[in-house]
Amino acid sequence: MVQENIRNFCIIAHIDHGKSTLADRILEHTGAVSQRDMSEQVLDSMDLERERGITIKLKAVRLNYRAKDGQEYVLNLIDTPGHVDFSYEVSRSLAACEGALLVIDASQGIEAQTLANLYLALDHDLEIIPVINKIDLPNADPERVIRELEDNIGIPGEEALLVSARTGVGIEDILETIVRRVPAPKGDPGAATRAMIFDSHYDQYRGAVAYARVVDGSIKVGDIIQMMSTGRKFEVTDLGVLRPSLVRVESLGPGDVGCIIASMKDVRDTRVGDTITVASRPATEPLAGYRPAKPMVYCGLYPVVNEEYTDLRDALDKLQLNDAALTYEAESSVALGFGYRCGFLGLLHLEIVQERLEREFDLNLITTAPSVVYQVVLTDGSMREVDNPSALPPITTIDHIKEPFVKASILVPDEFVGAVMDVCQDRRGIFVNMEYITPERARLEYELPLAEILMDFFDRLKSRTKGYASLDYEFIGYRESKVVKLDILLNGNPVDALSCIVHQDKAAARGRGLAEKLKEVIPRQQFEVPIQAAIGNKIIARETVRALRKDVLAKCYGGDISRKRKLLEKQKEGKKRMKSLGSVDVPQEAFMAILKVD
Amino acid sequence: MGVYVHIPFCEQKCYYCDFHSVVAGDEESFSSVVSDYFLSLRREALYYKKLWEDRALRTIFIGGGTPSIVPAEQLASFILFLRNELPFVAEPEITIEANPHSLHYEGAAVLSKAGANRVSLGVQAFQNRLLKAIGRVHTSDQIGQSVGALKRAGITNINLDLMFGLPGQGISDWTETLREAVALRPTHLSCYGLILEDETPLARWVSAGIVHLPSDDEQAEMYDLACEMLKEEAYEHYEISNFCEPGMECQHNLLYWHNEPFIALGSGATGYIDGFRYKNMPDIQGYIESWTRHTPYYEYTDQVSLDQEMDETMMVGMRLLRGVEEEAFFRRYQVSFRDIYREPIEDLLAKGLVQESNGCLRVTRQGLFLENMVSGAFLR
Repeated sequence: MVQENIRNFCIIAHIDHGKSTLADRILEHTGAVSQRDMSEQVLDSMDLERERGITIKLKAVRLNYRAKDGQEYVLNLIDTPGHVDFSYEVSRSLAACEGALLVIDASQGIEAQTLANLYLALDHDLEIIPVINKIDLPNADPERVIRELEDNIGIPGEEALLVSARTGVGIEDILETIVRRVPAPKGDPGAATRAMIFDSHYDQYRGAVAYARVVDGSIKVGDIIQMMSTGRKFEVTDLGVLRPSLVRVESLGPGDVGCIIASMKDVRDTRVGDTITVASRPATEPLAGYRPAKPMVYCGLYPVVNEEYTDLRDALDKLQLNDAALTYEAESSVALGFGYRCGFLGLLHLEIVQERLEREFDLNLITTAPSVVYQVVLTDGSMREVDNPSALPPITTIDHIKEPFVKASILVPDEFVGAVMDVCQDRRGIFVNMEYITPERARLEYELPLAEILMDFFDRLKSRTKGYASLDYEFIGYRESKVVKLDILLNGNPVDALSCIVHQDKAAARGRGLAEKLKEVIPRQQFEVPIQAAIGNKIIARETVRALRKDVLAKCYGGDISRKRKLLEKQKEGKKRMKSLGSVDVPQEAFMAILKVD
Repeated sequence: MGVYVHIPFCEQKCYYCDFHSVVAGDEESFSSVVSDYFLSLRREALYYKKLWEDRALRTIFIGGGTPSIVPAEQLASFILFLRNELPFVAEPEITIEANPHSLHYEGAAVLSKAGANRVSLGVQAFQNRLLKAIGRVHTSDQIGQSVGALKRAGITNINLDLMFGLPGQGISDWTETLREAVALRPTHLSCYGLILEDETPLARWVSAGIVHLPSDDEQAEMYDLACEMLKEEAYEHYEISNFCEPGMECQHNLLYWHNEPFIALGSGATGYIDGFRYKNMPDIQGYIESWTRHTPYYEYTDQVSLDQEMDETMMVGMRLLRGVEEEAFFRRYQVSFRDIYREPIEDLLAKGLVQESNGCLRVTRQGLFLENMVSGAFLR
């Protein structure tokens, strides 16, 4: 395909604005998949993605399109994840494109991630095509959305395409607009090869597969390629494009988007954002923007039964093949035994990994409450990074502690501005700015400790605003903070895995809340179980789980024996999912209870 | 070793009940179904007769449903048929479950003549408002009348089934129920805690918040009260939920708690013969239809392994207050339960839920209340 007839584009949207459905419809319209083969949301391949309705890993699809000008075009659709945890991946897929469809729900209007993604796209100089989706819904209000576009983004209203991805209205328009407005790729076919990896995945048979956009030069089967961040070299065994299933090609030239198979062992060899060059004639400068994904959130993962420790390690090894952002190292807890300290991009990433471990590897896990990384400056002037409350050095050796802050942008209808301010204030937020994007909707900017965002912040925001608030945030740096370690004692014994780091001013309330919450989730046992919250040696709260006086006092006749057996076996299974700490059986949710405390 | 017969008919379904039974229709169709049903019971009995060979049978238990809803003559003739065809001892214990509302002197006399010598009355409570709340059709004054009628008919071995944890039941109600029950001087009393079974009307009402049950602690108190009161009245507490005058244990139920084999007949019934456990499909028409072809109609069958059998022997045996006898277990399996269940036994001893005495392992007072913890420990 001649370079002039290639169009690389992506779809950006706030979550639930219909990005995946639109992608499906475009695939269908260009004949990449027949309607009959179409299961909803073709681009989201993992089961989990479908269930959660979010896109975790982006993929690229090559579409052939004969435009009204009579020419054949290749349209490369690059799917992007739609959640803040994955914003770096979003930015890499944007860097692989020249244009972006900005999808906005016709009834919801512009949301926080609409703006966040738009700004990212503008940073990459992309041609923006606004698409107002879901116009078939009864409460659709495209006029309002057009006004929002004009007022806030300065996009002329007449450029917006009115679409219903569900019914297929307006899809043809989108394709024509892409051909007309998105510029063809500019790269130099004669220059040293540079291709940017925007995604990768691990395949059992092929090893790590890199999805890349060739910027300059070309890559051919048999080339020795080199990763510019690590210098590692691999021989290309296969090149392909996704239509959406893999079709082999002999080479990829400027503007092409495809996958590269080169017997790479795991996805750490194919870091998103890295530049691939060809070893025989390497480029001197990598493409801009590479940075290794850095975990922002850590938690401990422990098998409920110690025997599963090696299974957990094997499972993490396997997951990491496919997830370069996941980090883990062995740790041990007095309460929970041996496990792993794992690092994640954010809470969603954590939940997805945890769920995959339990579902795909059939492991029973205890997840400890997530923690951010604190910078602890000691009295001797040295600094230590601490991502685990129980690893906090003795208080007497600490000079001060710094915690990570983010800048949060929250969009909300006018009537909920007060509620959002309450929530942010309550979470130690520092007000930065407020502006009205329409007369009815405000955008608030706050600086917040990341730790507070982990504590159920978004759910709380949603519930206080009847679900209207949308949130986006970015890391802005470390700040000094008065935080202390809160310990929990069960039956008089401290449980290290229940410790957490909290702000001094909130310690008492959190301690009380956590003790109350634990009382709810720890089932009654044969003996009464005192729960205490402590800071240092000072007990700040106490609750008691009262003793269980009876279990079941039912009839048991002949026909009941197998029924009773099943019931008892089920109870035994349930008990297996609990961690026995001394004589106290503690369910998994207890370790996450801190997140549910006000 | 004995025979269980299931009579899956009721006048009205109780709100808490998830046993297999159907509400009897109009008189004509009901009597025709009952005739067909008893014919099938006979066919089924003859089928198992071959498998059973000549081991002595000591008990018959006719349960339900509400057996007393069926004409006494039909029950009586079926009892005689069983005694005639199967190798029963000379005077087997023959129990019939009955509702106080549907058992009268005439019927009792007929049954007694056929050898029925024990009746288990579904009393549940002595307060009409509580009986109504759980969908029972009888009233409290019918209880005493039934007991009187049974005694006059010569059936003096009488059990009263009582329930605690009923919706709206207070401690004082339960005390009154126990007092009234004891006043009738039955030979045997069963006190069951109400269990909310899924898919029952009561479970739906409770989860919808329309109906409230006494708390777990209140129920524990009620159970405690029953244990104390009945002990004072000279009843022996011999199984978690069962009390009797000395020597009047229910022989049929003992065979369950000893995990012995038994034949079960009837739609929805579960039997256990030589390690073969079967459950008949709870479907009356299907049952009748299948036996016209002399073929069992099972919901499931299961071959119980030796390990499983030992687990179950412990599981049900620990329900008895005298516990599981070490000698008897060894005679039966040629192995000591101490070797097989060393860990759980040590754990239960440490927790104070079981104790050892007179060569038996048995529950402590606390173990009695936490019986699931005890019996669950023996499942491998």
